[in-house]
Amino acid sequence: MNRSRYRVVVVGAGIIGLYTAWHLARAGVSDVLVVDRGFLSNGASGRNGGGVRQQWDTRATVRLARESVHAFRSFGHDFGYNIWFRQGGYLFVAESAEELERLRAVQRVVASEGLPARVLDPAQIARRAPALSLEHVVGGTYLASDGTVYPFPAVWGLYDAVRAKGVEVALGVELQRVVVENGRVVAVETSAGRVATDTVVNAAGGWSKEVSDRAGLTVPNVATRHEILATEPLKPFLDPMVVRASDGLYFSQTMRGEIVGGVTVHHPPGTEAGMPSSTEFLRTMARALTGLVPRLRGLGVLRAWSGFYDDTPDGLPVIGEDPRLKGFVHANGFGGHGVMISPATTRRVAQVVLGERTDLDPAMFAPDRFLGVARNGTTERLQLG
Amino acid sequence: MARRPGETLLAHLARIGLPVLQRSIRYHRPRGPLCGVGACSQCLVRVNGAPNVRACEYEPADGDRIATENAWPSPHWDLLGAFDLLFPRGLDTLHGFRTPGFAAPLYQRVVRRLAGYGHLPDPPTDPPPALGESLQTDVLVIGGGRSGRASAASLVAAGRETVVLDRAPSSAPLDGARWRAGTTVSFLPRPHLDRPHPFAAIATRRDRSSLFVRAREVVVAIGGYDGPLLFPGNDRPGVLTAEGAEALVPAGAVPPFRRALLFGGGARVLPLLERFGQHIEAVAAPGSVRGEIAEKAAPLEVPVYPRSLLVGASGRRRVRRAHLRTRGGGASVDLDVDAIVLAHRRLPNPQLFYQAGARMEWRREAGAYFPVLGADGATSVPGLFAAGTVGGFVPDATPSASGRAAADAVLGRPWAPGDLPPRVGAETPGELEGYYHELLAGARGHGKWVLCPCEDVLLHEVEEASAHGFRGIEVIKRMTAVGTGLCQGRYCLPDALLVLAYLESRPPSEVGYITQRPPFLPARLEALAALPEDPPPSTEAT
Repeated sequence: MNRSRYRVVVVGAGIIGLYTAWHLARAGVSDVLVVDRGFLSNGASGRNGGGVRQQWDTRATVRLARESVHAFRSFGHDFGYNIWFRQGGYLFVAESAEELERLRAVQRVVASEGLPARVLDPAQIARRAPALSLEHVVGGTYLASDGTVYPFPAVWGLYDAVRAKGVEVALGVELQRVVVENGRVVAVETSAGRVATDTVVNAAGGWSKEVSDRAGLTVPNVATRHEILATEPLKPFLDPMVVRASDGLYFSQTMRGEIVGGVTVHHPPGTEAGMPSSTEFLRTMARALTGLVPRLRGLGVLRAWSGFYDDTPDGLPVIGEDPRLKGFVHANGFGGHGVMISPATTRRVAQVVLGERTDLDPAMFAPDRFLGVARNGTTERLQLG
Repeated sequence: MARRPGETLLAHLARIGLPVLQRSIRYHRPRGPLCGVGACSQCLVRVNGAPNVRACEYEPADGDRIATENAWPSPHWDLLGAFDLLFPRGLDTLHGFRTPGFAAPLYQRVVRRLAGYGHLPDPPTDPPPALGESLQTDVLVIGGGRSGRASAASLVAAGRETVVLDRAPSSAPLDGARWRAGTTVSFLPRPHLDRPHPFAAIATRRDRSSLFVRAREVVVAIGGYDGPLLFPGNDRPGVLTAEGAEALVPAGAVPPFRRALLFGGGARVLPLLERFGQHIEAVAAPGSVRGEIAEKAAPLEVPVYPRSLLVGASGRRRVRRAHLRTRGGGASVDLDVDAIVLAHRRLPNPQLFYQAGARMEWRREAGAYFPVLGADGATSVPGLFAAGTVGGFVPDATPSASGRAAADAVLGRPWAPGDLPPRVGAETPGELEGYYHELLAGARGHGKWVLCPCEDVLLHEVEEASAHGFRGIEVIKRMTAVGTGLCQGRYCLPDALLVLAYLESRPPSEVGYITQRPPFLPARLEALAALPEDPPPSTEAT
């Protein structure tokens, strides 16, 4: 770290942290330090399946996703790295009338925002994804402009771009404590020394709860471990990302030909156990995938890995300044969807840091929503793919 | 041609010449077999509608439909091979193909066409495999080679309930042990030390089924493999590891090469020289060459070139010539050869130790990571032991001694001084750090340096990423795809570590290591789907 004071310190050099730094630098604030205790792409930004969808169940998130899709389309031009944003569509499949009704409800929200999401019958699904077994499929929804990216080059492109604008990125540096005086941030203590600042952005993904802890703040975020695998590469046969409503099975075929996907398996929450793989996931995923695509039965699995979702009680991210601590800005709680809505959400994070108004509904996104009267239970949301 | 019993498809085809069965993934370069042990990506064929079957493991039957993959019209003449010639510096998928934006879908279609080996499998006609077997035992021995067998024999003799899982398809069982041949352990998760049987390994079998084993203790004896070497043209058909040459040429058969360069100067070279004698053109080694080798080579009139850099191989569809240069800026020698057999280093298979969470150490003399072994022979994971090559013991010399020692460690028997067999050290002349330093500092010459053959990653891509300031193997892997292909780094990572050590001017141990993710060797989805349920720990008998 070259200086003893920065206007903004961003914790986390994943896609959320780096994109936030980029929006800040573009707005003229390049006096920014980004710290990360790992290497680039060590966290969820480098561990996800690359899905980018606009089929969300609220109009606000559909809008953020649509704006993000526009940004991904021009990412190569803007940042010099090819993220291979391939708009092969997102295909949700339902295996019961109830599931289909849930998908239809989402489709109506998406269509109301002017995106041509469609309800498909099994025959139409067969045309979009010819290898699928339709034995149990009753229908689905599809949006052609959804797609997939390679998340790594997105991180590198941002890493290069922010440094070119004068932002400092310190890798292998851990935030140890946020120093507070009179209810506001005054400095951070890191493994590489103390740095004065009056703004900290918590973009630590799965570790955001720990970072908030180090500022003395209790937050409802929970890190949950999710697993994913990749198979031997095949010649292209599958265009869309396929998501099954019943069990959260999702998979797509990457540009390299591998089938990459996961399925929901519940592990104890928290980051303490690290990121191991599990036999349970390998078995559950193999059963789910070969059930829906029997032709993949003989295909070899090359590798499996895991990463953390940063979940919130209502399944929506936390964006805004913490009302308990002036200068502490949340950009976390993305619940496994950070990459897909990163361009649009981080623009708002930067606006918060700069003290500008955002168009985000505070009732949906602000950290305040978890601090007042507790809401009734948790909301079931479309947390797929 | 009549098939011989037990003959693999690869060996069968090798009787009429060097099999070139496929093209590489990005540049459609002709690829011949490399490893011969089912671990690389260079002999894939489609068998009866199933893609990516390794010819070195498959025993053909009458009526089989066998087709080549990723080549049109054939692996010998492939139209997309033009990509190799059109892009001598390679395709830049990291920065290229970005503009104009409207062309992205077209670029994607073209690049996607290049990706992948085989086509989607045909719809299955046979039922999925039945639910796999579930075993519980005192000791699980993984690997049924000499070390594993010796361990198991000692354990059985001591009255321990023993299960042996052996990858070899038809190894002879051991009396008193439950022996499962044709079985590859895919995943050895970190043990649950609070359970009576802390270890729970899963394995897949040749017959497409799977296996689940709970054990109190585990001995890993899965041996090693003959390692790669980086030089321009290192992916040409005819470049084989020693095991690859052995697998290609069953005992008594005529090899599909007439003049091979044998590369290596240690223990591994002697049996190859004896076996392929009149087909060996020369022996060259990165360092010194053992006296016995020179003695053996002299009557065969095989020249020996110690302390040599292999600076290139030429010949497009097959190796035609190898270029050597004496180390320290010495003379150059060109050899007319039609094969290069790599026997210069034996590397351990460390994957299961990483999966189980054992502490590992870089052993410079061997150029590889080994589990840290305590005085009692145990790894840092209680109940996990190592025998043979994976434990860092001298290969071939005294494998059964290390197997017995591992069994003694399991049984808690104190070792007498000198019980422990010699560990890899001065015995191994494969110290390659200095070799790579000299090779990479020298002139680059012509031809592609394919650092990672599975993904066609070129050396200069790694150099560019490094020059850009990206450091460490974990980042370079994600940036270049090194180590992410079908072999999961087996045939590129050992070189990549040495290359990065050179580029980053630090020891290989500081370059890091890529996470060794399950499964160890590709595991079929249907076998994983047939894994029996893991009973919850609360239901276990204690």
